[in-house]
Amino acid sequence: MEETLLRIRDITKNFGGLRAVDGVNIDVNTESIVGLVGPNGSGKTTLFNVIFGLHKADHGNVYFDNKRIDHLAPHQVFTRGMVNAFQLPRLFYQLTTLDNMLLAAREHKGDNLLNSLFLRKEWQHQESELAQKAMEILELLELAHLTFSPAGELSGGQRKLLEIGRALMADPVLLLLDEPAAGVNPILGRKIFEKIEHFRQRGMSFFIIEHRLEILMEFANRIYVMDKGKIVVEGEPTEVVNNPVFYEVYIGEK
Amino acid sequence: MDPFIYILDIIVFIGIFAIVALSLNLEYGFTGLGNFGKVAFFLIGAYTYALLIETGLHFILCLIIAAILSGLIGSLISLPALRLREDYLAIVTLAFGEIIRIVVKAEHWIAHGVWGISVPPAIFWQGASFRMTIVAHIGLIFFCLLICFILVQLVTNSPYGRILRAIREDEIAAATLGKSRLKYKAQVFAMGSALAGLGGALFAQYIGFIEPYMFMPMLTFTVWIMVLVGGPANNWGTLLGATLVQLFNRGAKIIKDYLILPVDPTDLQYILLGLLIIFILLYRPGGILKESKIKTKAVERASQWKRHS
Repeated sequence: MEETLLRIRDITKNFGGLRAVDGVNIDVNTESIVGLVGPNGSGKTTLFNVIFGLHKADHGNVYFDNKRIDHLAPHQVFTRGMVNAFQLPRLFYQLTTLDNMLLAAREHKGDNLLNSLFLRKEWQHQESELAQKAMEILELLELAHLTFSPAGELSGGQRKLLEIGRALMADPVLLLLDEPAAGVNPILGRKIFEKIEHFRQRGMSFFIIEHRLEILMEFANRIYVMDKGKIVVEGEPTEVVNNPVFYEVYIGEK
Repeated sequence: MDPFIYILDIIVFIGIFAIVALSLNLEYGFTGLGNFGKVAFFLIGAYTYALLIETGLHFILCLIIAAILSGLIGSLISLPALRLREDYLAIVTLAFGEIIRIVVKAEHWIAHGVWGISVPPAIFWQGASFRMTIVAHIGLIFFCLLICFILVQLVTNSPYGRILRAIREDEIAAATLGKSRLKYKAQVFAMGSALAGLGGALFAQYIGFIEPYMFMPMLTFTVWIMVLVGGPANNWGTLLGATLVQLFNRGAKIIKDYLILPVDPTDLQYILLGLLIIFILLYRPGGILKESKIKTKAVERASQWKRHS
């Protein structure tokens, strides 16, 4: 059954005199892929940062799973089940690929200081299970051969994949992806979306910013088009593609 | 002087400074906290110990209380300070170290200000030679060092230690993965301060007399050089760094008696330490030993996976 998982209501965010996000309303349903497109500088990433608590909204509310989250700090939003993958991967570059993955694990007993000292047996067992899970995801993303390499040695595309893999490791209910297919080759870009669809069928929801329209339109259930901080078009991919406003703001043709 | 005692003295100082350097390595090497106020917690530990032992408390108890009190004060200081970014944290901690020293110097009632305070010997028995008491101190100090080393090794080779490194690499990314940076930083700051306080207490006990001028900022910088030389985020490297810098310091003190220099010979060790740090940062910026890897069961499991496929 479809329910609204993420409700964004009238969100406004100013930077000095610039209104980056202007009264935006968006719904993301469970088990769906929702795309957010728009020209550069239209406020998409800012909106993501507001949703995730990295920026405070000047006006409006964000509800996740019917609870308000716009007053929460990023680490609290994470505990509610929403995970964010950055546009430019923010990996821990001196740590190995495996460590990067394990850091996203939820409710790890060894994350606590006293447990790390005195309950070593318990979390060692959990570590082992988490490593298994991490390896499965890395295998899926074709990163398994880089398990013990520092993340700093990965190529641009691999970093992108690891950023997504790390987000998946956290068993998110909703995953915010900022341009997952940007900067990777076309085949890999498609593959990433196939994986996304694979996880959607298992109950995850996705809210995705993406400029690679040909891929996004194929996989998304709903598209929002943003321009100058406002949502100008919304609807199913076919509706959006046929909307003249979409062409005007995005492709620049009339 | 008996040259053997001189060697024992060097070993004592290696042990004490290794404890303080381990604490800085935990803060800076693993967590990326630039604490330039190490000497403050060293001072708090030393004075707490000196004042407590006068009341007749058992010295082991005094050591423990000195460490805990330093840790508590550390966590208090960390609350406002940790909201700041690296460089500002450095300034605040540096200033804190100065303030504490000046307060102890000016407030006569605490511990006789500039006159200093003598610390009654705690390790003492009938017929003990000077040499033997130093050896006993070495035993105690290295026992404490061993405990501290095991502690930092356990902490850093765990999921907890992994989070500390993640915070060092990218705080924002760590926060978006559900790690409350303030909590982790405050805990590390408290732990680091407690270890530094323990080092200070052992120092006070060994020296037998402390006064504010023993706690100048140079002490902080010496500890920093130990961590940088040995290799940040490697506890073995820190032990190595502490040993090397201590030997270097003493060596410079001996050599200056045999050299005719155009500079004030008392400054020679600082000039040489400055050169050492420049060389290390230019030619081996990661220190002598590389950052240690996190060893948990996860590594084992993941490497087995590799063999299967």
